[in-house]
This record gives sequence, structure tokens and C-alpha cells, in this order.
Amino acid sequence: MEIKGSVVLVTGGGNGIGEAVAKYFSKRGAKVAIVDMVQKNIDRVVKEIKEAGGEVIGVQANVTSEAETAKFIKATLEAFGKINVAVASAGIIRDGTMLTLDKETGKVSRKMGLDKWQPVIDVNLTGTFLTLRDAAEAMVNGGWEGLLVPISSVNKVGQIGQLNYSSTKVADALMPKIIIGEFLMRGIKNIRCVGIAPGYTATPMLTGMNQDALKAILEDVHIGRLVEPDEIAAMIGHCVENGALNATTIEITGGLCNSKGIAK
Amino acid sequence: MKTISYNDMEFVLDKTASGWEITRKQAGGASAVVAAGLFADLPDGEAEVRAEALVKTVFPVGIKSVGPDVAHPNMVGDLKIVGPDVSHPNFIYWNKDSTSFAK
Repeated sequence: MEIKGSVVLVTGGGNGIGEAVAKYFSKRGAKVAIVDMVQKNIDRVVKEIKEAGGEVIGVQANVTSEAETAKFIKATLEAFGKINVAVASAGIIRDGTMLTLDKETGKVSRKMGLDKWQPVIDVNLTGTFLTLRDAAEAMVNGGWEGLLVPISSVNKVGQIGQLNYSSTKVADALMPKIIIGEFLMRGIKNIRCVGIAPGYTATPMLTGMNQDALKAILEDVHIGRLVEPDEIAAMIGHCVENGALNATTIEITGGLCNSKGIAK
Repeated sequence: MKTISYNDMEFVLDKTASGWEITRKQAGGASAVVAAGLFADLPDGEAEVRAEALVKTVFPVGIKSVGPDVAHPNMVGDLKIVGPDVSHPNFIYWNKDSTSFAK
């Protein structure tokens, strides 16, 4: 599929990887719909894309809501007439261990609450499901060539302190195999699905963290630096153009290894 | 150029060299771009109608973004009820919302 002239929908498009994806595709001639929770982020990215000569629309929406998902799908179709690529990059973290022990008594002093569990499930898993489901519905009914892109994470292998986040990201990584299997069963041939599992990426969430902790993370990355959001966007661009990529999730980590040097 | 007032907001529909542009007026005289590069191949009248319809889709009346309001847990005695806080002023019940609890 050609990027130029395609319509690309990006959730979480107001910053980080989503912003990079939106700008990458716009620079290459795609029409871009940006969805985000934060209106001021939408306003900034839409303005920058418009000033660069891009065709763009910004929609403030909550990806965990069916009604709001229907809203941004409808808005994209009204603006551009079709959807070819849906990148579900809206995601959040609420880190913490499942149990915390009191150092003196050894008894459980705190449990991970639903206040940390449920929002991560809602945004990263339910939100991805709703975005891909409704984008696929539009693609099937419209008959357009399409690509669905759930954003997983290298932490799908299981990251301490991220039981909630890793649980959603392993599920997101599995989606392409199931979705494409179902499409094959149902005779849906115009849509592919490729997941992307980024490693540690230079988004504001990571670059703003404790610099000593960041340095420790980078010691396990073979290329010795964070992955740039533009590099993630370029991988998604390749997935759009390479029609053989399908029903899989691709890691882009810069060579993330365990401390003993074994690639994760 | 056409200005429309809708849902207590003001929008400007403007034809540019690259197509139609929709901007939203903000407090203090600033404006934010809602969409750009639209409907370049349509006649002006049809483009205006579609731009106005698009505004109403992007900013619908009566639906606001409300996720699970876990920052405002309900306490019933010692029982903490986590989920959408239906008493929160921004909460609007939506019976098809997958994140809403049944009433």
C-alpha cells in the first residue's frame, strides 16, 4: 500500500510515538486524523502539521469509550472519506508491584489497587480493541485496503512492577494473529494487521525520568541509546508499504538485552 | 470565510490554497486549528456544508470524555468502590459505554 494519498488514524497522536507517527505519515503525503485525550496537545500537533502543508484533523476523544470511538471514526470518514491505517498508540502506565511488604513485619502492607489496574486495562487493551474493531469495520464496509497497528511493547515479555501494563501489552501483541486468522475465516482479504513492540523509546515519559535510572536502562541496550519515536514511525511506514508483513508483532528495541547479555 | 456559532463555541470555515480549513476560536482571541486541507475538490457550497457537519461530529453536544473516575473513589463505610463516579459533575451516563458500570 502506498503511503501517499492514504488516510492514517492515530490514537494518542498528541505526543510521543503517536505524534511522531502522525508527522511521519503527513510528511509523506498521507492525510492524518489525530485522536488524543488532551485538547492542547491536539491543537499543537494539528497546527504543526498544517503549517508543514499537511492535511489533518484533530479529535479529542477517550479511546475507552465506544461512543467516542464511533465519534472519531465518523469524523475521519467525514473529513477524508476513508481509513487505510489505524495506529492504536494511546497508552498509559501506572507502575507498582502487586504486593508490597512491610520491612519490619514481612506482612503485606499494600496491594495494587484497581485504581492502578483498571485504567491501564481500559486504555491499553480495551482502547486498542475498540479502535481496531471500529477501524476494521469501516475498512471492510468501505472496501479500502487497510492496515491495523496495535502498539505493544518489549515489556510484553513481563516487566517487574508492570503487571498491569505488561498484561495489556502481551495481549496487544497477540491481536494480529487472532485478527488475521478471523479475517481469513471470514473472507476479509483487504486488511492486514501488524503489531509494533517498541523498546525503550525517547518519549517525554522516559527522557523526563530519573537520569541515573535511565542510564541503567541504557546499559542493557546494545545500541547504547533510546529508540527514537521517528524510528518507530518509520517501521510502521515500512509495514504499510510491505504487503507481506501480516499477522505478527515486530520488536524494535535497539537490541535490548538482559543483564547477562541475552537478548530479551 | 464563514463563521458559525455552535455549542457555545465559534468556528471559522476558511477556503485556503490547499483546501478548507476549520479553526476554533479560543478565549483571549486565540484560535486553534481543528482541521486543514479538507474538501479541496468540492464546490464551495458543498464543502461548507460538509465542514459544518464535521464540526458537529468532532464537537458533539452532550457527550464529554469521561473515563473511569478512579481519582474520586466512593467510600461506603470501609468499602472503597472504584469505578466511574456517577456523582462527579463531568460524568454522563452512557448505556453503551464499555467502561460504565450498570446502574
